[in-house]
Amino acid sequence: MCGIIGIIAKDKKEALASITVQCLERLEYRGYDSVGIASIKNNQIEIRKAKGKLEEVVKKLNILSMSGDTFLGHTRWATHGEPTDYNAHPHTDCTNSIAVIHNGTIRNFNELKEELISLGHTFKSETDTEIIPHLIEEFKKRGMKNFEAFQSAVKAIQGTYAILAIIKDEENKIYFAKKDNPLVIGIADKMNFISSDIPSFLPYTNKIIILIDGDIGYITNKEVYIENFGKPVKIEDRTKIITWDASAASKEGFEHYMLKEIHESPIAVEDTISGMIAEIDKIKESVKLINSARRIIVTAAGTSYHAGLLFSILLQREGYNALPIIASEYYNLKTTEEDVILAISQSGETLDVIQAIKKFKQNGSSIISLTNIIESAIARESDVKLYTRAGPEIGVAATKTFTSQVAALMLLYNFISQKDYSYLSKIKEIIRYALNYQGEARLIGEELSTKNNAYYLGRGLSLPLAMEAALKIKEIAYLHAEAYPAGESKHGPIALVEKGFPVIFINDGELTEDLQNNVQEMKARKAITYGISVNKKLNTDKELLLTTDEKLSIFAIIPIIQLIAYYASVKRGNDPDKPRNLAKTVTVE
Amino acid sequence: MKALVLAAGKGEGLYPYTKNQQKETISILGKQIISYALEGIKKAGVNEAIIVTNDQTKKDLEINVDISYEIVNQKTPEISGAVKDGMEKIDDETFLLAFGDIIAPPEFYMSLMNSYVTGSSKAVFSLVPVYEGMQTYGLAKIIDNKIEITKENTTLALAGAYIIPKGDFTDLLEYFKSLSNSSRYFIWSGKWIDIGYPEDLINAIELLLSDKKTIISENAEISKTAIIGKGIIIDDKAIVDDYAVIKGPAYIGKEAYIGSYSLIRDYTSIEANVKIGAYTEITHSLIGEKAEIGSKSYLTFSVVGKNTKIGASTITVSYPANPVRSKENKLGALISPGEEIPHGSIIGPNFKK
Repeated sequence: MCGIIGIIAKDKKEALASITVQCLERLEYRGYDSVGIASIKNNQIEIRKAKGKLEEVVKKLNILSMSGDTFLGHTRWATHGEPTDYNAHPHTDCTNSIAVIHNGTIRNFNELKEELISLGHTFKSETDTEIIPHLIEEFKKRGMKNFEAFQSAVKAIQGTYAILAIIKDEENKIYFAKKDNPLVIGIADKMNFISSDIPSFLPYTNKIIILIDGDIGYITNKEVYIENFGKPVKIEDRTKIITWDASAASKEGFEHYMLKEIHESPIAVEDTISGMIAEIDKIKESVKLINSARRIIVTAAGTSYHAGLLFSILLQREGYNALPIIASEYYNLKTTEEDVILAISQSGETLDVIQAIKKFKQNGSSIISLTNIIESAIARESDVKLYTRAGPEIGVAATKTFTSQVAALMLLYNFISQKDYSYLSKIKEIIRYALNYQGEARLIGEELSTKNNAYYLGRGLSLPLAMEAALKIKEIAYLHAEAYPAGESKHGPIALVEKGFPVIFINDGELTEDLQNNVQEMKARKAITYGISVNKKLNTDKELLLTTDEKLSIFAIIPIIQLIAYYASVKRGNDPDKPRNLAKTVTVE
Repeated sequence: MKALVLAAGKGEGLYPYTKNQQKETISILGKQIISYALEGIKKAGVNEAIIVTNDQTKKDLEINVDISYEIVNQKTPEISGAVKDGMEKIDDETFLLAFGDIIAPPEFYMSLMNSYVTGSSKAVFSLVPVYEGMQTYGLAKIIDNKIEITKENTTLALAGAYIIPKGDFTDLLEYFKSLSNSSRYFIWSGKWIDIGYPEDLINAIELLLSDKKTIISENAEISKTAIIGKGIIIDDKAIVDDYAVIKGPAYIGKEAYIGSYSLIRDYTSIEANVKIGAYTEITHSLIGEKAEIGSKSYLTFSVVGKNTKIGASTITVSYPANPVRSKENKLGALISPGEEIPHGSIIGPNFKK
């Protein structure tokens, strides 16, 4: 999910470097870890790039002093190679004559890199992107003209891409190609833009062309040329005027990022599992550490803690000594070198978790981390770095990242317990199936929105989900909710239950009979009971029954509890994307 | 891009009301239902519309939206036929298909266009989560990031606004199915209502007034002794007489008259030129243009058509009833345009005339 911008202009009063930076600012929501800018002037390409936040990099490298009429800008979200200065885009060929920025993944980059090295090319980064400028250079060496060389390079790569390239002997041209990653052209007066998203250039123009897969071409300051599979495209047919504001454009129709991101969960899980399997050595290393440990301490905060708690239950059932601990309570635990710590954090920057693992490290414990950001602070502190690959999440309340964490931990659990993990490939399908029950989730959410308090009760693996459900509805709907093991409810919480008090039972189908008793207890106190059940019915007052593979039933529940909170929040007139008092990354004590 | 707006359906759920008036032309909060769609379409950047209607609709249609439109009479039966008839007037490859009986804010149509423009799919479908009374045009499932038209195992419904390419088909839903591989979808979670039953009209008033602030026209005549509550819109030249209470949320249309000591409360829409006698209480109801409600009447959860005469001391009863799409078990009377109710009637629940 990198941010891409290319700008080409003539006789503009405002410096293009400044416009490029402004465009990148409007792409920041996509998430990134490094920044790079390229420009051409007097047939020379200049590149300034570094790891860090846009504002810092712009200041540090004095980017606003760059000049020229053609600019490329990029914000990188690391997937291949660490987030470092040298891995930041743009990437160049051997002679600094060609600069390329890219979003996507090139599957055959190892083969192409070997081939290019054998032909004498020198690589300066660990990225897959760098093969593109070298390929263009190679085809140019063989006598091709610039566009032909660019086309041949694109033809050679397999995978997904949105590519922009500039070549120093053509000062006023930006080449582009698109497959599976977004690219959109903006047409303004004596000025053209090409970007991964409309909001980036919306203050300058609302006249746009959305590129489709297979499009390849170039822009100049007054011309747009596109061909699709060799056939020139009529620009007028593709040109559209848009009439809405920038923030709406990136939501792709959904009213909130949160709802869009819940719908991205199936892809996030699939990418997470395939990403982890691609780095199977790291899983094996984790398994080795866990199997030789005296205790497995699972530490995290908030939503990640619930994913960790679920993982601990799975390990405890296998006889492992797994201990979940809320990160901010780290001081209560003395670990030793025989302990392994599993630290979980969406951002990888959560201060509570950093402090916990620093202390545990001092005691000699080994650290395995699971984060969504490559080489995050927590990853850097770890002996083994595992990653979810949910992509950037804009909504503050974690949704697709939670589902991905649970999927990643299920995969790890299967490796630890030496079980076949192939069934996990069905998770995607199960989440999609559950997403079709939004009407029922909405009904429950809207009913709960009228209440002041609620209990979420569960047993076994449903307990961490009940806890996550209560947290989610607290976070975004500001509804006071508490979660308890259902068996514990009669030891105190039931005192609050009276006529109409909502009690939501989470039932993954494993301990239904026990839960049914708890439902009766609550009904006897005239509570209004809801059931989110998989495969077996609880007979609550209102029940959503889903049917699916029992080993993966929790994945049918997760989207439902997230949607309930979402609709409760919307019904109360809140903005679920920006809950009050909460931040995406918790970096304070 | 042009919009194709459907406004020729039979509206059987609103019978007998819709024998005399097309539902798209029913006015709510001073605006015909179809105008809500046209306003949204316009805001989404579409400036031309083809409206598929029948003779009845053409007669009643009052479009106050700044959009250029052409009216096409439906020749071919059913919804598929209406779309095909309208499509003949469309030259572009792609068009925005909107149902004229959906009330949603402009953001709904803007989201549709936004989703189309930001993606590279041939078609975009809007979906809404529904639970009660799922007799909407079609249900849809998400399978592999694409939508599939279905009849079960889902609570997502087609939301009545789509961007689709022109095509040759006999059945619209089958055509939608054939587009699913090259389509995308979005889920609309904001305000949305499909007008199909009397309760939908009542719910629509609530939906539209739920976040409104009080706005009183400078040209309205409000007695000094009248009491005006919160969430009230009073339009031009409306008269609220001595000691009337507009508790609200409520809409009082142009040149409407509210008699002394009357009480208008809880999501009520009094349309233009309505006359309400003294000592009358109205709640959760829609009173159509030029209707006359006699003194000392009580109307609740009711829909009264335009040019209707309700005799004095008429009482509607709303409970117990069995509405198709309402969380409340209440429904009063549905009185068709031009009908008369004798003085002193006690009617309902579920009364239809």
